Amino acid sequence: MSMLFDILSTSGILFIVSCGLLLIFGVMKIINFAHGGFMTLGGYVPLLITQMDWNPWLSLPLAFVMGLAFGAIVEVLIVKPLHSRPLDAILATWGLGIIIGQIITLIFGRGVQFAQSPLEGTVSLAGTDYSLYRLALVGFALVIGLSIGAILNGTRLGLITRAVTMNESLARALGVNSALVRLSSFAIGAGLACLAGTLITPLSSLDPNMGVPWLTNAFMLAMISGTSLVSLAIACTVLGAAQVLVSVYVSPILGSLTIVVLGALALRIRPQGFARG
Amino acid sequence: MADSGASPAVSLDSNKGWNRSNSGFVLLVGAVSILIASPWILPEFMQTILIRACLYAVVAITVDLLWGYTGILTFGQAAFFGIGAYATGLVFTHIGFSPTMALFALLAGIAVSMLIASLVGILSFYPGATPLYATVLSLVLPIVVTQVIFSGGTFTGSSSGLTGYESFNLSIAGWLWLCGGFLLMCTVLARRFVQSDTGRLLIAIRENESRCDYLGINTSRIKILLLVCLSAVSSVAGFLYACYGMVVAPEMAGFQFGTEILIWVALGGRGTILGPVIGTLLIDVSSAYLSGDFPFVWKLFLGLSFVIVIVVMPKGLLPAFIQLVRRGKFTPGPSQQGRLQVAGERRLDGLASQGNLALSVKGVQRRFGSLRVLKDVNFVARHGELLSLVGPNGAGKTTLMRCISDGRERSDGEIFLNDHPIGKLSPFECVKLGIGRKFQTANVFHDLTVFDALAVARTRLDRPSVWERTRVISLPLPAMSIVQTTGLDALLQMPCRLLSHGQKQALELAMVLALEPNILLLDEPTAGLTKPERTEIGRTLTKLAEEHKMCVVLIEHDLDFVCDISSRVIVLHQGEIVLDGSVDEVVHSELVRDIYSGSFGMPEDPADNVKEAS
Repeated sequence: MSMLFDILSTSGILFIVSCGLLLIFGVMKIINFAHGGFMTLGGYVPLLITQMDWNPWLSLPLAFVMGLAFGAIVEVLIVKPLHSRPLDAILATWGLGIIIGQIITLIFGRGVQFAQSPLEGTVSLAGTDYSLYRLALVGFALVIGLSIGAILNGTRLGLITRAVTMNESLARALGVNSALVRLSSFAIGAGLACLAGTLITPLSSLDPNMGVPWLTNAFMLAMISGTSLVSLAIACTVLGAAQVLVSVYVSPILGSLTIVVLGALALRIRPQGFARG
Repeated sequence: MADSGASPAVSLDSNKGWNRSNSGFVLLVGAVSILIASPWILPEFMQTILIRACLYAVVAITVDLLWGYTGILTFGQAAFFGIGAYATGLVFTHIGFSPTMALFALLAGIAVSMLIASLVGILSFYPGATPLYATVLSLVLPIVVTQVIFSGGTFTGSSSGLTGYESFNLSIAGWLWLCGGFLLMCTVLARRFVQSDTGRLLIAIRENESRCDYLGINTSRIKILLLVCLSAVSSVAGFLYACYGMVVAPEMAGFQFGTEILIWVALGGRGTILGPVIGTLLIDVSSAYLSGDFPFVWKLFLGLSFVIVIVVMPKGLLPAFIQLVRRGKFTPGPSQQGRLQVAGERRLDGLASQGNLALSVKGVQRRFGSLRVLKDVNFVARHGELLSLVGPNGAGKTTLMRCISDGRERSDGEIFLNDHPIGKLSPFECVKLGIGRKFQTANVFHDLTVFDALAVARTRLDRPSVWERTRVISLPLPAMSIVQTTGLDALLQMPCRLLSHGQKQALELAMVLALEPNILLLDEPTAGLTKPERTEIGRTLTKLAEEHKMCVVLIEHDLDFVCDISSRVIVLHQGEIVLDGSVDEVVHSELVRDIYSGSFGMPEDPADNVKEAS
């Protein structure tokens, strides 16, 4: 039973961590290597909130808004000039990740720190005690996924974003301001990354490179999902389950490789990813 | 920095070239003397750092050859460095040190690296793979290698690595000479290599891989071979590192190290050999000095300069510096003196030998989801025929051409080139069956000169050297006459990107003819050309069909032009052949008039110039 919860919460965490990356990859066709850096940035928000002695829940909106603003600045300064050189954009965002890591080190020091969790304790479900916060993350994943889905399918910005995702040159020819779409997608993607950093902080400790280990898994999940949130959810569930099972039955080290190795093989078979259509 | 390498001393036929190689020779002598003298002129701490930096610089060269020259962004070379180092560490720790064992460790490291590199290469460079996928795999590789090392327990020393084993007992000066000499050798060899025919081919792959594919070049194989060879070089660097440092750690195979190498290469100047070498030496030595005093600020500074260089100076600092010194007259690559000659007549043999039918298309279909672009297309064409495919936009003409030249394209049916079924053959294999395809928009190599582009086109027939640079290209008569009539022979040293549209079209046609095909596919060869240029192309094409007995298949919107030169016309409409006959039949067909009516009519009146807009 506890394993089922493990699978569920792992999938939820993976979804939270990778949806920001997916949004950017889907719209701009680049991998944002600063994703790990943005997550770290978001991870330090709860620490500040704890130090200020504010309500821990406040860190969620705060992290998202901070990521939004920061992402917009980065898009204009770094990503936009590299529009025609996608591989260079990957490198530049990686450099940005280094910069974020170093700035955080300069401000908060290199050491490992802890922040207060908004939800403590365990819950008794179906005969097992399970961490309440990990279960809550599944809920958060659902809320985030549904919100992005609602924005994409229910608003004008979402409509033109989908248009740009499918065929950017055509969308531009039809008068869609694709620069605005890119800007907003990158900003929202960065906001989601910061939010993800905040959400995973209570699970582990804080350090200036905490986001980086998540990066490769998120990256692989986004690549195999192509452009669809639904396929991302499925990929997170399937590969998350595989990771938990391999970790438990084979070895935790192999478990940590499950997603990247399976993802690489899946991409070899279907280079365009597993998005519908 | 001390040992920054040099260029090979080859004597070239031009005065300028001689000067250039002379300065390279001076650079080499200078670097060697500095290397020999460095134990006496450099402080000992700097020497120990330099030894390490030299080995890193060798890995940087391998990354540069893959990324800067061939366009494969890779994080994976670190893994091969780590494998070489770990092979050494493991052998010395568990078997013991002796010169024989060192040789064994070296060879074992190389063998394992090459084996893994070929696996990774086969996975990442399959025909049709995206460049992003190769990058993804190169990212996965160091992560997997590091985790394997972690999971090795006491055998691999897990996260703390292996240390305290015995190794060669050399003085600091000895190590510096050894590693510096190794770097010097790699630099000289790499510079010679990138200036060879094969080096030119790598640039062509970076510039336009699909054009290479349609020139009959097996790009996948070249990239796999390159990766395998370079993995061996990185592995040797790792071996020396483990021997010198007497410690191996998982970080040496890691993804972080892989990205650091990329930073050195990017800052130094990708696509040059000296840039990454100088970049690595400078950055690694300054890091050793500065990171003690300003640990985080230094790394922050590196990250910032990396981002700025990528955005503002994508070529890196060395090329920018040279450009500044030479005031914008910087032209990369060696000075080139080349001439063309007519290739000897050769009998087409093997697969490309003339079949009974040049081209036979049977029941070909192409579907995109539920959309059927080609519905059951059937026709045959013989050698000596000049066949025009006409039809309104969206009729499926270009799709049909793609299906003929790439076996993986069609959804159903079979195509025979010179009586051989093409099955699922990729474009470069179709070229072997005697086909040559010219694209709709001029498709050349922007950064190569006209001469180099023609040389690349001859890759399939005249094997490129990995050491020499060909100065004489043999072109078959038709290609030669195109080059001469369009005046391209006076522009041999001109980079292709500076050519006019018409010159690019002519160059591409010459490149395709250089393949010595007997089936020629041309997608709108006259688009955007002036009337005299069209007439000239028309005359050339008729000659190819009549004198050289080629089967020429042409997509054309200019119906005047079609009527003038074709021996047969096929009209395609909504994915089906609606008419297949002589020019006369088509001109007088009611059906064709109906299809074209509204947008344009058939040219009854020659004054009514019917030209398609697109």
